[in-house]
Amino acid sequence: MSDWTNILETRGLTMQFGGVTAVDEVDFTLRDGELRCLLGPNGAGKSTFFKCLTGQLIPTRGTVTFKGQDMTGWNTHDIVNLGIGIKTQMPNVFDGVSVYENVRLSSRRKHMAAQAKELAEKTLERCGITHLAKREVGYLSHGQRQLVELAMVLAAEPALILLDEPAAGMTGEERDRLARLVLESARSAAVIVVEHDMVFIRQIAKFVTVFNRGAIFREAMIDEIMADREVQEIYLGKQANAASA
Amino acid sequence: MEKSVLRDPGFYVMVAIGLAAMLILPVVLDMFTIMQITQYVVLAVFALSLGYIWGFGGILSFGQAAFFGLGAYTFAVAAINIGETTIPLILAFAIPCLFGAALGYFIFYGRLSDVYLGVVTMVVTLLFWKLANHTAGPEYAIGAARLGGFNGIPSIPVMNIPGEPEAMLDPVQMFQVFMGFLIVVYIVLRLLIASDFGRVSIGIRENETRASLLGYDVRRHKLVVFAIGSGIAGLAGAMWATYQAFIDPNAFSMEMSAKALVWVMAGGVGTLVGPIIGVILLQWLTLKLGTMELLNSLAVLGAIMMVLVLALPKGIVPTLRKLIVDGWTLARRKKTGGKADE
Repeated sequence: MSDWTNILETRGLTMQFGGVTAVDEVDFTLRDGELRCLLGPNGAGKSTFFKCLTGQLIPTRGTVTFKGQDMTGWNTHDIVNLGIGIKTQMPNVFDGVSVYENVRLSSRRKHMAAQAKELAEKTLERCGITHLAKREVGYLSHGQRQLVELAMVLAAEPALILLDEPAAGMTGEERDRLARLVLESARSAAVIVVEHDMVFIRQIAKFVTVFNRGAIFREAMIDEIMADREVQEIYLGKQANAASA
Repeated sequence: MEKSVLRDPGFYVMVAIGLAAMLILPVVLDMFTIMQITQYVVLAVFALSLGYIWGFGGILSFGQAAFFGLGAYTFAVAAINIGETTIPLILAFAIPCLFGAALGYFIFYGRLSDVYLGVVTMVVTLLFWKLANHTAGPEYAIGAARLGGFNGIPSIPVMNIPGEPEAMLDPVQMFQVFMGFLIVVYIVLRLLIASDFGRVSIGIRENETRASLLGYDVRRHKLVVFAIGSGIAGLAGAMWATYQAFIDPNAFSMEMSAKALVWVMAGGVGTLVGPIIGVILLQWLTLKLGTMELLNSLAVLGAIMMVLVLALPKGIVPTLRKLIVDGWTLARRKKTGGKADE
């Protein structure tokens, strides 16, 4: 357990659905405390990759190692309890209960009731949704629900945070706050962010991994990626095709 | 919803109504009516078992009668063999509870989806029903108790005071004891729902994926909820058996399971008062319609059910609650000149 330098490693990670290979032999490495952005066109396999990491999908082949511990094929709750938190692409929140209760259910996992309450309140404040605490989550806007889910992830104090399109549906102000939050969280945890919003990416990204067709296409610093013609093509090529179709 | 039960006035009101009914009704009503009401009390406990697992655990079981019948038969067999009713009553909770846990193990650890859960619970009920119907011969006996097949088990002992097999309860005492059971089950469930365990159950009902992504073992959690519901249904079965002094395979019938669903749905899923009100209202209606002999009571009930689902899709209690809360807010807003918060 103690002998590890990379918080997360995948080796030959592959996920097939019938004849479709959504994730294809991915060797991915994340250092402890690193903030990584994951880019790639729709259908590149980013969300499937996340699901393989959290046990929501059991990979067809390959291994996932977290803090030196091989956890391939584990149950989701066991993986999460090792210290991984994920904000899913479509927010998975508890619609019928209040914002506060959502976050408290997260902080209560590892803390006694009194500390859980305190941590939940603190996290709501950090995410700027204290004024929504009593509201039922089902009635909130998409952007607000994203923040609620983010608060749930942060309240669990994970060592690795996975964020799948956290900025989707947010107003500019919400997005700026999110960027600050992500940078702040990255000081105490490793973070992987999947996002399409380039303004947002510019605010947070340093080292970037680009996915295409289930495989790692490029790994480089953000400026290099932005200048990369081939990366532009896989993004724009799709849009150009869609426009002509 | 999330405030402490002990600070919720509604909780005390409900318990007070229960205690008042327990003490006052026998004084003001004749014995025949009391015996009628006893029936509602038993079925209310049964309805609560489903109301709990469905409304607060998100488990929609089409076979709650399996546990009801199992509890009834357990009680009958044990009481006939032992000659008193206290231990049989405990067994009637424990055995369905264990059976529910075993069945739940396969359902939840096998990750069956909701639809299959419905199918499996329904099929298990039918299996019990078939099985119980085929035990007519004298060779089908457990100790001194003959199972009796479709003829059922007659002469089931009436409940007695613990430790005194001779001190059998009269109908009024039985009503009061059963009211006591109903109140205790209600209190225990309210406390359970408000506990951290219960809050996680509600989380699982709202979103299983998120619950497991927070690190909660959804399978184990649902299994416990299901087993508790099964035990309570078994207890209701035992009450039914001793109330009628008779039990037959119809305790396992689809009609029993369906009725439980209808009561909970009419009263309101996600409340505990709802299922109780559902039982009282619909059983009373069935009785009235039955005596009128004007129309087929099942047809009229079906029509009422359709109207309820269309007009009050959330059920009676949640709709009333919303009306009261809205009315209250509106009244306050008028008073404060439109500055009411929330």
